[in-house]
Amino acid sequence: MSDDVEKGAGKRGLLRELTKGFITTNPLLVLMVGLCSSLAVSTRVENSVFMGLAVIFVLTCSNIIISLIRRFIPEQIRIPIFIVVIASFVTIVDLTLKGFFKPVYDRLGVWIPLIVVNCIILARAEGYAYSNSVGRAAMDGLGLGMGYTCVLLIMGLFREFLGTGKIVFGERALVDLGSNSMPAILIMFPGAFITFALLLALLQWHKARSKTGEEEG
Amino acid sequence: MSELWRYFLLFLGAALVYNILLIRFIALCPFFGISNRMETSIGMSISVIFVMVMATSVSWLAWNYALEPLGVGEFLYIPSFILVIASLVQFVEMVIKKASPPLYKAMGIYLPLITTNCAVLAAATESVKPGFFTKLNIAYHYGFLESVIYTMGVAVGFSAVLIVFAAMRERIELAPVPKFFRGVPIAFMAAALFSLAFMGFAGMFKL
Repeated sequence: MSDDVEKGAGKRGLLRELTKGFITTNPLLVLMVGLCSSLAVSTRVENSVFMGLAVIFVLTCSNIIISLIRRFIPEQIRIPIFIVVIASFVTIVDLTLKGFFKPVYDRLGVWIPLIVVNCIILARAEGYAYSNSVGRAAMDGLGLGMGYTCVLLIMGLFREFLGTGKIVFGERALVDLGSNSMPAILIMFPGAFITFALLLALLQWHKARSKTGEEEG
Repeated sequence: MSELWRYFLLFLGAALVYNILLIRFIALCPFFGISNRMETSIGMSISVIFVMVMATSVSWLAWNYALEPLGVGEFLYIPSFILVIASLVQFVEMVIKKASPPLYKAMGIYLPLITTNCAVLAAATESVKPGFFTKLNIAYHYGFLESVIYTMGVAVGFSAVLIVFAAMRERIELAPVPKFFRGVPIAFMAAALFSLAFMGFAGMFKL
């Protein structure tokens, strides 16, 4: 999962902010926030891609803005202010998708407005952007957004490929096994829970293994 | 009579057939976060029912008498609904803090999190844009009473599943579970089976 971010070692601090979102503070697998959208939209790879991009955009932009104006926000009313900032960016995504990517918008449906209440974004605004510099907040948003997208893509690939036997992107099928007897339960609701449970178990297994490895070595 | 029957079906449909947790995956964060103890689930359920019904009523009024006539509904529904919800949550928090400090303590951080409980915003959005999620009948327009009944159905469905699931999780804690599935993963597996059961309601009747 973390292969594609291991390039370039300059500016270590910022880079660490970026990479921590993949494993150590992965919003879905470790922090367990923002589950709803991820389970619901990951029936198809295409949905995962668009949802991931939308979340990266909103998370990064709202982190930047909140970090910029953090000195002017009175503490008592910070939550409504965060929400207004987030809601503006979500409205941008909402209208953009509706205008240019109508089929995707129709499939993602209520999940786009629901990005506003996606716990990841408010949690990062409150827990990180409100008390960190702009650069770090931007990196944090980008990193966590990408960690989210990664998990979404894995789930989308697993569910769409095993559930329908093909991967459809836009109009074309990228991969097609041509089989009719795939376990369709994976793209239905219980499949989402099963996939996510397997992912979590895998992570726990990985943790346990690396821990014993350290003890032995 | 048929009108009453329709309301009943609307309620049942929102609560069971399109159950917000297991069929639509909305509001999973509080679901997994708070469902490990029975007492907190019950407290959470009550405040969610209250906030949700209030939020939908106010949002419906705001949409039909302010946003829609002014022609700004498309652009402003997200911020205005979420502000309604945020202020309502603040209100409920104050009431619970006064009325029952132990409950307030138990709910901890989850109370402010109702603001980010997707179910509340989803119910409010759907009551003014019916079928937005379920893609049933886009042109249909809910009246005030209908949207309140619909929201009550959604909230009751949420609470019922939350409480039953909390009971189940308390039982699972004692069960011998494979090592790597202990804790949250097995809860997700249980939710999968639960969701499978709820799929049995699908297609029973149309909303």
